[in-house]
Amino acid sequence: MFRRVAVAGAVAAVIAGMPASLVAQRGQAPPPAEPLSALAPENLAKPRPKAPFDLTGNWFVDTSAGPDAWRFGPPYPKLTAKAQKEFDTGMKLLKEGKVYKDDIGQCWPAGLPLIMTRYWPMAMIQLPTAIYMVSEFMNSFRTVFLDGRQHTDPDIVVRTFNGESIGRWDGDTLVVDTRHFRGDHHWMDQGGASIPAGEQLRIVERFRLLPGGKQLQIEYTMTDPEHWEGEWKSTKRFNRVNDSDIKEVVCLPDLNDHLKSTRSKTQVQ
Amino acid sequence: MKKLIIASTLMLSVVAPAFAHHSPAAFEAQKTVTLTGVIKEFRWQNPHTWIELYVPNEKGEEVLWAVELTSPTYLVRAGWKSNTLKPGDKVTVVGRPLKSGEPGSAIFTSVTLADGRTLVERPARQGGAK
Repeated sequence: MFRRVAVAGAVAAVIAGMPASLVAQRGQAPPPAEPLSALAPENLAKPRPKAPFDLTGNWFVDTSAGPDAWRFGPPYPKLTAKAQKEFDTGMKLLKEGKVYKDDIGQCWPAGLPLIMTRYWPMAMIQLPTAIYMVSEFMNSFRTVFLDGRQHTDPDIVVRTFNGESIGRWDGDTLVVDTRHFRGDHHWMDQGGASIPAGEQLRIVERFRLLPGGKQLQIEYTMTDPEHWEGEWKSTKRFNRVNDSDIKEVVCLPDLNDHLKSTRSKTQVQ
Repeated sequence: MKKLIIASTLMLSVVAPAFAHHSPAAFEAQKTVTLTGVIKEFRWQNPHTWIELYVPNEKGEEVLWAVELTSPTYLVRAGWKSNTLKPGDKVTVVGRPLKSGEPGSAIFTSVTLADGRTLVERPARQGGAK
C-alpha cells in the first residue's frame, strides 16, 4: 500500500514538473516516431532498387575551360533591386582594388553552391540511404538523403549554409533538392560579383555520371525570388581524384592574424 | 644589401581565385614585390601555409611581411617540406602585393633559398583525372 502511494506521488511530482504543453498532450495521439537514421542497420537493409551509379570517391571541379570555371556566372540572372545594389557595390569596390563582404575570407562557410566548386577535392561516400560529402575546404559537411524522407518542417529545421538535401533517382540521374539555407553571410559568388543567397534559396541538382565513370556532371537550377528572377542555371563537371585524400582543413581563429590581406584596408564589410 | 623592389611584370602564372579561402581581388594581378629578408616564422598548415619575414624598407627599418601560400598538399608536389624554411634563414621571396599599397602583405609567387634553389607553388589541380 505504502509502495503504491509512493509511486503515485512520484508520478504526480513528475507531471507537476512538466511544461504545460506536455501535460496538455497527454491523452492525444503520440507524436510520429523519429525517422530512422540513414546509418541505422534496418534502414540500410531495406529493399531498394540498385542505384544507377556510385559516386564514392574524391571529386574536383573541372577547370579545363579556364580558371574561372568554378563560378556559377556570368551570365547572371536578372537581379532584384536588393541584390543588384549588393552586386553594384561589389563591382565598384573591385575596380577600386577593394573586396566587398568577403565572408568566406573571414571564415564563414562557403555554403552551397560554392562549396562544390572550391579548388579543393570533395570526398563522397555513397550508401543506399544517403551520400555523405565532405569538402576538404574547411571540411564542410553535406548529406544527401536517399531514404525517402521529406524535407524537415521549416518551423523546426535548423538552417545551414549547405542546406538540407533530399535526393531521388530518376532513371540514370540523381535529382537532389536542397532547401533551408542560412540567409546571412551566404553568397553565390566571391570576389566582386556579390550576389547574396537568402533563406528562399532552393537548389535542384541533377547528377549524372558520364560514360567511363571518371567524370561527374551536375546541372544546377537555382531559385531565390528575394535576390533574382526566375531560374539561374549552370552546369559543372567534376573529375575523379585518385591520388590524394582529404585532410583536416579548418579556418582557425589565428589564421587571418597571419594573413594580413584579410585585415587590410582592401576589405570592406 | 637587402632590397625591396616593386616591379611591374606580366604574370604568367594562372590565378586560381577559389584556391585561397579569401578572394584574391585584394592582390595586384600584374605587379610583383621582391622581398629579401630573414625568416621569422614559417607555418606549415591548412588551408594556407604562410611565411613571415623581416624585410628592411627604404629607411632601413625592419618591416614584418606576411606572405600567403597555398596548402601543403600542393607544396609537397612542388618539392616543399615542413622544414624548407627555418627562422633565421635568408631568402628572397617574390609575391604580389596588396592593391591598397599597404606594406607587409603579399600572395606568394616564388622563393629563392640561401642555397640557390628556387621553389614555386604547384599550379592548382586541374581536376586530376587519371
